[in-house]
Amino acid sequence: MIRLLIPLVAVVLFYVEPVFGLFSPIEIGGELRFLIPRFLIMFLIFVGVYYSRQRALVYAIIFGLLYDLFHIDIIGLYAFLYPVVCLLAIWAVKHIHQHIIVVTVITLLLVAVLETALYGFFTLIGFIGMPFNEFIPTRLVPTMIANSVFLVLLGWVFKSLANRRSIQKRERML
Amino acid sequence: MPQFFSNKRLILLLVGVIVLVALIFFSLRDRDQANVPEQIVKDVVGFGQQLFSKPAHYITGLVDDVDSLLNTYEENQRLRARLVEYAAVQAELSDVRNENQRLKDIVGKEDDLRDYEPIQATVLARNPDQWEEKIVIDRGESHGIQKNMAVMTAHGLIGKVILTTPFTSTVQLLATQDPDYRVSALVTGETEAFGLIEGYDTERRELILRRIDSAFEIKEGQKVISSGLGGIFPKGLLIGEITEVTTDDFGLTKQAHIKPAADFSLLEHVIVAKRTSTAVDGSDAGNTGEAMDNTADGGEEGNGS
Repeated sequence: MIRLLIPLVAVVLFYVEPVFGLFSPIEIGGELRFLIPRFLIMFLIFVGVYYSRQRALVYAIIFGLLYDLFHIDIIGLYAFLYPVVCLLAIWAVKHIHQHIIVVTVITLLLVAVLETALYGFFTLIGFIGMPFNEFIPTRLVPTMIANSVFLVLLGWVFKSLANRRSIQKRERML
Repeated sequence: MPQFFSNKRLILLLVGVIVLVALIFFSLRDRDQANVPEQIVKDVVGFGQQLFSKPAHYITGLVDDVDSLLNTYEENQRLRARLVEYAAVQAELSDVRNENQRLKDIVGKEDDLRDYEPIQATVLARNPDQWEEKIVIDRGESHGIQKNMAVMTAHGLIGKVILTTPFTSTVQLLATQDPDYRVSALVTGETEAFGLIEGYDTERRELILRRIDSAFEIKEGQKVISSGLGGIFPKGLLIGEITEVTTDDFGLTKQAHIKPAADFSLLEHVIVAKRTSTAVDGSDAGNTGEAMDNTADGGEEGNGS
C-alpha cells in the first residue's frame, strides 16, 4: 500500500497545484501578489532526502516533463530544473543534517532558487520585463510565505511517509 | 561529493543537459501545432485535471452562492428598479433587431462578422507558475475549437486560443507580455477608430491599444470592442473602456490605456466564440501562403502588417 502511496501523493500534488493557482494572484496592499504553489517539488525533495535519491530523480524528471507539456509548452524547462533542485537539496542535506527543520529550511531556500531561476530564464527569452526589485515583493516573498505554510503543515507527513517506505523496503531486503 | 564526478555520471549529466537544452530550443520556436505525443499527454493530464478542478469549482461556487445569498435583499431592490428600465430596453432591442434583419434582407447580406456560435467551456487549470498568462480549458478540436478563436467571459474578451488538442485547448490571456500577441480592436463612438491591442501594463493592470490613427478623436470613457477584421474573432466582443489617451513614442499615432471589462483572475467558466461567417486563417506569412492572399491585415497574429 505504502509502495503506491508516494507516486499517488505526487500525482495528487501535481493536480492540486493548478487548482491553487486559480486563486492567485490576490490583491494585498494595492498590489497583486502571486502565490505560486510548489508543492510537488517540495514533496520530491523530502522523498529524495528520506527515501531514495534515485526515485526522487525519476519522479522529478517525469513530473517535470508533464508540467512542461501541459502548462508551459516549453519542453525541458521543468524537466531540467526539478531534478537539479532535487540533487542540490540531497547534496545540501547530506552535508548539513537530516533533521526535519533543517530539511524544511533547505527546501524553502531551494524553492526560492527555483523561482529565481525561472525568473532568470523567462527574462532571458523575453517573456517578461519585470525588474528584479519588483519580482521580490510581488512574487518571491508571497510564494515563500505560502509554501512555507504548506510545508510546516504537511512536512512531517511527507517525512513519515518517506521514512515508512524506506523502512518497509529495508525490511523486505532482509 | 565524489558521486557527482564519477565519469559515467558526468557524461550522463552532460548528455541530459544537452538534450534538454535542445528540447527547450525546439519548443521555443513558433510552432503551429502541438505534436502527437504532446497532444496525448495534454489530453490525458487534462482528463485527470478535470477530476480535481470540477470539485474545486463546485466548492468555490458554493461559497459564492452563500456570499450572494447574504446580500440578496439589497440586490433584489436594485434589480427591481432596473426591471422597469429593462422592459423598455427589451422592446426597443427587439424592434431594432427586426429592423436590422429587414435591412439586411434588403441589402442581401447574409454573413455578419458579429455572428458567432458560443462554445461553453470550463477552466481546467491555470498555469500554476503564472509567468505566462495561460489557462487550459476542457474543450478541444473535437468540439470545434480552432487556433486563434476568441475566448471571453460574460463580462468581455479575455484572450484567444493558442494551442488545441482533441479534448483540451490552451488559451493565452490578454494580460500577456508576449510582444507577438495582437488583437484588432475598434473604439466605438460617433466616429469609430481602429487600433491594435498590443501589450499589457502590469503596473496599472490595463491593456494598451496602439496604432490609432491620430486623425481620430478618442477620449476617456469610450468602449473598445473587437473589430472582427483580424479574420477569426467575431466583431463586437467587449474588451474594455479607455482610461487614458497618449501619443506613441514616435508621435505618429495615438495609443490608449484600456481597463479590461473582464476580470482575469478567478476564471471558471469561459465562452469560446466560433465565428459563423467565414473565418480567415490569420496565421503569419511564413506558415500559410494562401492566408496572405485573403487577409488584408493579419491583425490577430504575430506578423500582422
